[in-house]
Amino acid sequence: MKPPEEIVFIVDDDARVREALGELLESLGWQSATFAVAADYVAYAKPDLPACLILDVELPDVNGLEFQRQLSSDVHPPIVFLTGHGDIPSTVRAIQGGAVDFLTKPVGESDLIAAVRAAIQRDREQRSTRAELADLVRRFSVLTPREREVLPLVVSGLLNKQAAAELGISEITLEIHRGKIMHKMEATSFADLVRIAEKLQIPITHSRRSGNSRE
Amino acid sequence: MPIEIEDQKPVNEVLRDREHELSLLVDMVPSHLWRLTPDGEPTFFNKRMVDFLGLDLPDTDRPGMSRLEAVIETVHPDDAAEFRGRLNRCLVTGERFTMRYRLRRADGVYRWMSSSAEPMRDRDGQIVQWYGLCHGIDDQMHAEEALRQSRRQLQQMIDAVPVRIWSVTSMDSPVYFNKRYQDHFRSVIANFEAIGEPRIETLLRELIHPEDAPEVQRTLLNCFEAGRGTVMRFRWREKDDIYRWAECRVEPRREQDGTIVQWYGVSLDIDDEMRAQVALRERERELSLLVDMVPSNLWRLTPDGETTLVNKRMADFLGMDLDDKQQLAVVFDTIFHPDDAGAVEDVLGRCLLTGDRFSMKYRLRRADGVYRWMSGRAEPLRDQDGRIVQWFGLCHDIDDQMHAEEALRRASERLAQATRAASLAELSASIAHEVNQPLAAIVANSHACHRWLSAEPPNVERAKITAERITRDANSAAEVVGRIRALFRHAPEARLPEDVNRLIDEVCLLMADETTAKTVCVETTLEPDLPLVALDRVQIQQVFVNLIRNGVEAMDAVAGSARAIKIRSYRDGPDAIRVEVRDDGTGFKDPQRVFEPFFTTKAHGMGMGLAICRSIIESHGGRLWTANNEPRGATVAFTLPLAASEMP
Repeated sequence: MKPPEEIVFIVDDDARVREALGELLESLGWQSATFAVAADYVAYAKPDLPACLILDVELPDVNGLEFQRQLSSDVHPPIVFLTGHGDIPSTVRAIQGGAVDFLTKPVGESDLIAAVRAAIQRDREQRSTRAELADLVRRFSVLTPREREVLPLVVSGLLNKQAAAELGISEITLEIHRGKIMHKMEATSFADLVRIAEKLQIPITHSRRSGNSRE
Repeated sequence: MPIEIEDQKPVNEVLRDREHELSLLVDMVPSHLWRLTPDGEPTFFNKRMVDFLGLDLPDTDRPGMSRLEAVIETVHPDDAAEFRGRLNRCLVTGERFTMRYRLRRADGVYRWMSSSAEPMRDRDGQIVQWYGLCHGIDDQMHAEEALRQSRRQLQQMIDAVPVRIWSVTSMDSPVYFNKRYQDHFRSVIANFEAIGEPRIETLLRELIHPEDAPEVQRTLLNCFEAGRGTVMRFRWREKDDIYRWAECRVEPRREQDGTIVQWYGVSLDIDDEMRAQVALRERERELSLLVDMVPSNLWRLTPDGETTLVNKRMADFLGMDLDDKQQLAVVFDTIFHPDDAGAVEDVLGRCLLTGDRFSMKYRLRRADGVYRWMSGRAEPLRDQDGRIVQWFGLCHDIDDQMHAEEALRRASERLAQATRAASLAELSASIAHEVNQPLAAIVANSHACHRWLSAEPPNVERAKITAERITRDANSAAEVVGRIRALFRHAPEARLPEDVNRLIDEVCLLMADETTAKTVCVETTLEPDLPLVALDRVQIQQVFVNLIRNGVEAMDAVAGSARAIKIRSYRDGPDAIRVEVRDDGTGFKDPQRVFEPFFTTKAHGMGMGLAICRSIIESHGGRLWTANNEPRGATVAFTLPLAASEMP
């Protein structure tokens, strides 16, 4: 039995298919939630668990591919498409849009398991990336305005002297700011700080060479 | 005067001799001599006169009549009065008498005489005697009369002939005209009499059309100068200032030494002839214009097929010179599209042999090298014996029409294909969806069922539930299939008595483009006067379309010329008619399975065609079956029961 910390969402307009897929997933140990239309899925208060969305292409309220496009701007579980008749253009479009798989009804058990597993695995990774980033954002949020000014300069690779000159402060003051940043960002090394800054997408605004040339 | 006696005869003897001589002389002169008294009484006739008249002086003494009157009696009655009058006047006045008259000879024949008499006077001037002489002038008179007669006849003839004759000695001399000509002038020239003696110049001015006059003048001048005759045509003025065409021939009359003394001209009215000629030329011109201007290409062939004429339009089209006959001969070898040339030669060659009319569509190369579609026709012209004298052909440009037709045909084909594809795709999508949903559920449920049963411990309760769902969904799928079959089986259209043969003809017409495009020919052998059958037109049409299309597609893989679909209709027993559709295609691999829905041997088929056909025929109370032909091909046959009223 799978632990209940994973969930599969199913959107299909045919009750028999919803029911059967739910049954099969349950027999495989997955918790599932089924919806007849996309709107119901959107409205559903989803538990914060690694998840997968099995989406029928032919939905009564919106085409599955179109729905995928609507979801793309938001955080959402990886999608496994299900269709009565798969055609190549739709498949390509779905995969390009980030779908994990494109399955044709009736779908075999092994295909379904592989697709759901892959999707949930991908969701796990996405979730952990998102969690890590959220932690970094939290750390960044405790930096003072001056420290937020210093951070881009130092991770750009400027010498302390150059960064201090850029901000019009003494080198000593800058070194203090830098120490506090290292501490608050829980960076174990300067290289770690650079990696963190990269994940936070802090822009590299200066380079040592341009700084030199300005002097 | 001394007289020589010896030589002299006695005076009386001499006188006697002289009188004798004189008397002899008087009687011998070849004339009549006579003598009258001053008051006209005859006193002497010489012997010749007596002989001529057959009467002597004493014979003129008749009671109650003077001698003169008796003599006058011998003068021709027509001349007698004048004779008497003249003679009496002379007797009174003493003038010399002279006259021509006819005198009766002794044998009663009148002879012309020329007579004259003079008086002899005495010293006082008194008339003593009249001496007269008269001699025969009959031959002369007759000659003169004959001449006069001849002249008169000639003149009459000249005046009577229906031509206008004139003569002239030179350009400037007066012109002589015959009466007809003069009459003509009088009727045309208002003041003709005032002109006096007309000259050529006057006539040119007055009579000849101003446009023709200079030329006529020039011609006459040349003619007179060169001394040669000429012929000229011009318009002359008629009454009421109407101009008519005339032809004038001019010839010189020469003396024996060759000098020209007179010019003669004869003018004839040739207006009707000229007008006829002009009309003829005009008609010819119009015809030629018509031939050249009709918006078609016209041509003419010899019975051997050699081109002898093309109209201007065709020459222009082909870019050839109309007058270059040799070009004509060779150009026809090069104008046909290479793909058509062989067929045209075959067909035309056959027509030339059989005399059948030629009708064909082909491409001709225009002067600029572009090939245009033409519709050509030709028919033979035969002589009285039925032999072909010429072929006349016509071809007109149907290129635009052909392209339009081709485009239309392609469009309709695409539409038909699209419609067929669309409906099939739609149908298949709908069927797929309808059947696929329960199938998807069944598959998922059966996997789940398997899982529940394989679990440790097995979850039998859940397995049962899923198994029940499998049954339920499978039934639902079967229902879908049933609904589809029902869809094709029953249609609530009204069935009316129809002529199946007519229906077949209609469908063949409908399918003509499709079959022609695939170079399949459809042959029908339809039994005439088949009874009517109550049927749904649209459905039975659909059956025919399906069967023909199946046949055509079955022959796609068959190469060669024998691509034919044969449709036969005939009475099948007392209460049905039968229709067979045969093809020469690949045949059915498994004739029994062809009616199973979705069974197909075709690459792009749905496999519904024959199933639908059978269900339609069965819904009409008939049967439909298939069989393979020997050595190849297949036959689909079906029966339709007769309408109750049509059964014997």
